[in-house]
Amino acid sequence: MIKIETLVKLRGVSVSYRNGRQSLLAISDIDLDIVSEEILAVVGRSGCGKTTLLKVVAGLIKPDKGEVIFNQKMFNGRRRKVGMMFQSPLLLPWRTVLKNVLLPIEVMGESVNEYLERALELIKMTGLKNFENSYPWELSGGMQQRVALCRALIHRPQLLLLDEPFGSLDAITREEMWMLLQNVVMEERCSTVLVTHDIREAVLLADRIVVMGSRPGRIKAEVKISFESPRSLELQYTREFNEYVMMIKNMLGE
Amino acid sequence: MMLISKGFGRVINTPFVVLSAIVLWEFMVKLFNIPRFVLPSPSDIIATITRYPLYLISNLLETLYFATLGLCIAALSSMALSLLLAYSETIRGAIYPVIAGFNAIPRAALVPVLVIWFGLGSIPKILTAFLIAFFPILVPSLTAMITIEKEMWELLVSFGATKRQILVKVAIPRAMPYFLSSLQAGFTGALVGTVIAEMVASDRGLGYIILSSTSRLDTPLAFSCLVLLSIVALILSKILTVLERGVVRWAYRVGE
Repeated sequence: MIKIETLVKLRGVSVSYRNGRQSLLAISDIDLDIVSEEILAVVGRSGCGKTTLLKVVAGLIKPDKGEVIFNQKMFNGRRRKVGMMFQSPLLLPWRTVLKNVLLPIEVMGESVNEYLERALELIKMTGLKNFENSYPWELSGGMQQRVALCRALIHRPQLLLLDEPFGSLDAITREEMWMLLQNVVMEERCSTVLVTHDIREAVLLADRIVVMGSRPGRIKAEVKISFESPRSLELQYTREFNEYVMMIKNMLGE
Repeated sequence: MMLISKGFGRVINTPFVVLSAIVLWEFMVKLFNIPRFVLPSPSDIIATITRYPLYLISNLLETLYFATLGLCIAALSSMALSLLLAYSETIRGAIYPVIAGFNAIPRAALVPVLVIWFGLGSIPKILTAFLIAFFPILVPSLTAMITIEKEMWELLVSFGATKRQILVKVAIPRAMPYFLSSLQAGFTGALVGTVIAEMVASDRGLGYIILSSTSRLDTPLAFSCLVLLSIVALILSKILTVLERGVVRWAYRVGE
């Protein structure tokens, strides 16, 4: 029997933003489990609080109500092992690719030399070999996102948090990145939370999809995607795939 | 930029424009018979410079020395202050309006007061240079430091970066190109400051020479000082530009 481990548990989590005197409820009463080595996609319309949810998991926002349990520990301080990636690559232009990838290691105060080999390995795995010493502005948008992915993974996080990571890429590059992400995540054996508004992306990559409704952000439904992994891009043109897409679209549309 | 204004054309044009302006100036002064004490001709100015080269250059160096000293103090202190202000929003909220308000005071008007406080020595010159150079250096660096993208902060915090680390790893390198290019504006300001202080309260330096020579209607001497000042300021700003491009190559996206 395969033991399913829960990496992160959210219980009754609510977050509200204060705007002057008014207080706006961003997400309300969220219960969510993130299981080891799964890809969990969170889909929803813009402004539904999916990014807020991600930030709560990352420990960037402290919930007003509810609790976040990370790896069986109540979360209080920062330092949990997560890797993050945003829509914008957020690379430092004065650092080479290699040095950008190693930034988290430097910040954590660990030995850069110890991680050098791993950094080069990640760079190779993401198809950036021979670009170690290039500067970010010498790379295309897709390549910059690959660097950002390496940086998110360098410290062997248990949890990878992606906030619309491929939103600014063109369709062809995006599909390449889907396959790359799938490979890398399987290789690294980390759990992944993928926030996206691209339903096809969610269905293709995720083991489980959480559909969020807005005002306030809450979980409307949860869909298990029963395709075998690894998945290929051709899956998109099957009937089952499109049935999933339609179903989720309808859930969002309500 | 290089592609639009072709480098070759620029090299040809600038000396040409300067030369024709000088020739035109010389010609007009001769043509309209303008008296020397109103507007000396370029040949008069050159003659004056070659007549007192040591006197002029030693005073030029003196002026430069105080301006540079003022600039260095301004650069160091504005870097330190911008770090402090970037670090703490509370301190920034409290102090920054005071500094901005102080910047609105015409600092040339402060020189007589500085002389009362510090005497006729070098301190008023350095201080005036510092006071004028300080703000133009502070603002760009500080702005660069406090406009780090919110997501960049979140990314860094997500892997445990402290505020101090964010300042060291991101804010300072990010501010570097702005800091270095503001040194040029700062240097011009510092030079103005020193010259003003020399005019008000000194018996040395180009500022003093300009003031005393114009009071004797020795306009060619005043113009000699002006020309020397302009040339030196131009050369130093070129040096600063080269330095800047070398240090923060990444900011100009220059490939190898």
